[in-house]
Amino acid sequence: MALRLVTKTLSSRISPKLCSASLLHSHATSFGFKEVREEEKSQMVGKVFSNVASNYDLMNDFMSGGLHRLWKDRLVSKLSPFPGMKHLDVAGGTGDVAFRILESVNSIKRRALQDPLNDDLQEETRIYVCDINPNMLDVGKNRALEKGLGEDKSLVWVQGDAEALSFEDNSMDGYTIAFGIRNVTHIEKVLSEAYRVLKRGGRFLCLELSHVDIPVFKELYDFYSFSVIPRLGEIVAGDRESYQYLVESIRRFPPQEKFASMIADAGFQKVEYENLVGGVVAIHSGLKI
Amino acid sequence: MYRTVVNRILLTKNTGGGRRCLLRFPDLRTAVSSSRFSTTTEPQTFPNRPLNPADSSTSSSSTSFQTSSAAGDIPRQERKNPRAEYQGEQARVLQASLRHVLRLGWSEEAMIAGAKEVGISPSIVGSFPRKEAALVEFFMDDCLQRLIDRIDSGEELQDLIPSQCIYKLVRFRLEMQAPYISKWPQALSIQAHPLNVSTSFKQRAMLVDEIWHAAGDEASDLDWYVKRTVLGGIYSTTEIYMLTDSSPEFRDTWLFLDNRVKDAFDLKKTIQEATYLAEAVGAGMGSSLQGFVGKVIQR
Repeated sequence: MALRLVTKTLSSRISPKLCSASLLHSHATSFGFKEVREEEKSQMVGKVFSNVASNYDLMNDFMSGGLHRLWKDRLVSKLSPFPGMKHLDVAGGTGDVAFRILESVNSIKRRALQDPLNDDLQEETRIYVCDINPNMLDVGKNRALEKGLGEDKSLVWVQGDAEALSFEDNSMDGYTIAFGIRNVTHIEKVLSEAYRVLKRGGRFLCLELSHVDIPVFKELYDFYSFSVIPRLGEIVAGDRESYQYLVESIRRFPPQEKFASMIADAGFQKVEYENLVGGVVAIHSGLKI
Repeated sequence: MYRTVVNRILLTKNTGGGRRCLLRFPDLRTAVSSSRFSTTTEPQTFPNRPLNPADSSTSSSSTSFQTSSAAGDIPRQERKNPRAEYQGEQARVLQASLRHVLRLGWSEEAMIAGAKEVGISPSIVGSFPRKEAALVEFFMDDCLQRLIDRIDSGEELQDLIPSQCIYKLVRFRLEMQAPYISKWPQALSIQAHPLNVSTSFKQRAMLVDEIWHAAGDEASDLDWYVKRTVLGGIYSTTEIYMLTDSSPEFRDTWLFLDNRVKDAFDLKKTIQEATYLAEAVGAGMGSSLQGFVGKVIQR
């Protein structure tokens, strides 16, 4: 299948295409640096997240030094939410991104500038939080209650698989996936599902830990990842294995340019990425037209 | 990126000799964001890449992308120039947004309303790099294009003296802003924002260059900069005067403009005469000085 495509194109595209097929296969069968069967990967990832769910937010704060909040803020500001938006946040279990979007839409500043003819649009905003893991969703629902958003009908918690979404075609204005795409078995399926559910003009945004290329910083980051984080996981959450999986899966994920081309292959246009903290985190975005 | 939107608009319009003017600023037409990845045409040549067989059975989407994979062969003509597609859509959204500017200002709300009007999800507004600035810049480019069209179609401009020609063209251009005058201060403040200054400066430079070229200017030395700067000054001051002018059909503004243009041309004559005077004095002084020095040396 890949070879048939290759013969029709310029020769310069041959090596990247063959590489991508093998890269995807290797992502589907890798659990960190370990090799596993495709069918098992989903289960193993599920176990990891069931284990970490209760301490997920705390550990995020520890590992990133609180920076993850800023990263998520940046993601939401890039999204530019608007009242009446139908948004899907995938792998957004504990609700960080969803809460931020809701706050942005409901903010006073936004309300002051609103179009007086469309006042009731605020009510129509729907943010669907989809996660495959019920434990993560529970944590999210509890946090919503704590924030006083328990009765808010804008937030809808849905259990589902990113590779096979239960939403209709062309139904979403926005799609975000924050720190989730690394954990899926088939990246390209997730991307094509994202393309399917988005409306024309809808945007895909992905916030993910990515590759650092800056010379000295890279060594420091590697040291931090492999020596400090699993140890932190052991001390704070009592679970070294899960955090070892985390740092290894970051290394196995495709680098920024490669991932961007995968997004373009799924049909998105205007694919761009922005590196934060020198490449530790990257926000990829694409537009569906 | 934004320049290529303009080019697409420009290329789809059929104006006779209009292309010549824009070629003088070739660097403005490149649309490259160097530090970030952006789609080139290469990834788009695989538009209908067949997915894993499992997918075609699960999703019942009707996008062309799926149906052609079912057909087996990949019809490349379906995605003729996909990179231009999103820019075309963005241009349509901006065009529609202009109709909402009077009500909602040069803002995201106007762009959201424009997107809804065109039938595209308002999320597209997030894809404009500097949102409101994109709308203002689009309007400026649109006005510039209309001015160019007017210059190309209007033969009588050749017959006018330069000051008259400049007056007419500046007036014509400012009249395009008249419908938006109540919200124009907001547009000016957006253009003055540090992030947007470089683009707005370039647009104004192009505008001023265009007008001088139409007025028959052939200068290529320091004079070129002086002329552009002076006209830029005239244009900006008139634009600002227009903001507070409440006379019918902006009569006072046109009077102001006329006076400024006359002042500029008078100033030019004054400077010329001053140089002649200095030369004459210098020549006179020089000969008497020579005689004096000659006498001193002879001693």
